[in-house]
Amino acid sequence: MESLTRVTEALIFAADEPVAGTAIAATYAEVTGNDEVDAAAVEEAVAALNGAYAEEGRVFRIQAWAGGFRMATVREVAPFVRALVAAEEERRLSRSLMETLAVIAYKQPVSKPEVDFVRGVDADYALKKLLEKKFVTVVGRSDAIGRPLLYGTTDFFLEQFGLNDLDELPRPREIEQLLNDPAFVHERTELLVNLDPDQREALRTDAEPATEHE
Amino acid sequence: MYRVQLQNFEGPLDLLLFFIRRDELDIHDIPVARITDEYLDYVRLLEEIDLDGVGDFIYMAAILIGIKARMLLPRPELDDEGEPIDPRAELVQRLLEYMRYKEAAGHLEGRYEVRAEQFVRGAASAVRGAIEGDLEPSYRVSVFDLITVLQRVLEEAPDEPPVHPILRYDYTVEEQTEYVLRHVRGGKTSFVQLVAKRPKGFVITTFLAILELVQRRAVRIVDGVTAEDFQLAPGERPQVHGSLEAAVISKREE
Repeated sequence: MESLTRVTEALIFAADEPVAGTAIAATYAEVTGNDEVDAAAVEEAVAALNGAYAEEGRVFRIQAWAGGFRMATVREVAPFVRALVAAEEERRLSRSLMETLAVIAYKQPVSKPEVDFVRGVDADYALKKLLEKKFVTVVGRSDAIGRPLLYGTTDFFLEQFGLNDLDELPRPREIEQLLNDPAFVHERTELLVNLDPDQREALRTDAEPATEHE
Repeated sequence: MYRVQLQNFEGPLDLLLFFIRRDELDIHDIPVARITDEYLDYVRLLEEIDLDGVGDFIYMAAILIGIKARMLLPRPELDDEGEPIDPRAELVQRLLEYMRYKEAAGHLEGRYEVRAEQFVRGAASAVRGAIEGDLEPSYRVSVFDLITVLQRVLEEAPDEPPVHPILRYDYTVEEQTEYVLRHVRGGKTSFVQLVAKRPKGFVITTFLAILELVQRRAVRIVDGVTAEDFQLAPGERPQVHGSLEAAVISKREE
């Protein structure tokens, strides 16, 4: 009889997208007849696996993204993986798209007029792009006049941003902190396009998620 | 007719924040008259460049003028409880909220980059189709910084020589794109070097060509931007793909 830990490892490895703890527990119960395992037990198994990987110096960890688990390589080996997949297109999102996405992520469900108002510009192009990239989708209709469509983010968005759920969205700083930030007062002319990865890293504010331990 | 999309770059709220930062204004006590004048100057220039999306800027100009007018009233407006209303308050709230979302966007970008360094099994081939390379640059220099330079250069640019009413010399963005690429391919050059002593139509069309090329990553802006000039270098994709429909800018009869 295989242990839950081994089964967890196997399912996460074989899956093509994040697999929920509940799904793992259910599968285990189905095959072994032991239905006393639950999502909490699966989480313990994941933690144990990650611990073992770290000790053994393995290059992958199990991450918690979009409400499920997924194996991914550690950041240290990124240059090598990237080199293998040399043809991969540049995935950077423009500032404008990122800001529109931020408004939708934090205000969802939200209508296009609301997004336009916050951004001060017509979000038509940005919204179309975000829908195309499947970061955003229609989640309903507002009761307001004209009954505009309401938008929200997708699970794919969560996964692509390394978030387990919307609660993990970074908290925007309070206004006072924003106003006192020296970067606000002085001209910012650094060109991210031109910086090499080390320089970019130095500029980034706290971007590391809690699960990042090698 | 092809137009460079200004809203892909920045909008009226960005322009206001640009002034507030540049002039180190106190956001809780904005000098409305001054900022409205500066703002209107910019909008006039944006109209002359004929970028798309200027409508949003004009709408904000109307809001600013309205606030300015209300500030001139002899007696303060009162709210339901008899407390004086600051006509700027609503706009300030909007700016602050906008700043919070810009900040949030910065954080999200950080998360995105971290995630991009973690690969799942078979990731690249599966994901590559869904996330195509975005042609828009991750633009850290404000397009308004560039427009400031354009403003300076236009002040010194000569008007076109008087032309025969039948013969009109028009510059197209397509031609200027090739012009810019030719010079940039040789190494670094600057905006002023490209347009010095040229007539206004040439300057504006070249500026539009540069915006287009930056958008397509054929050209990069390097080394920081001063009030007088900005430097250009070859981008990640030195060839321009496809053909641009020409945007024709002709000398307007003054």
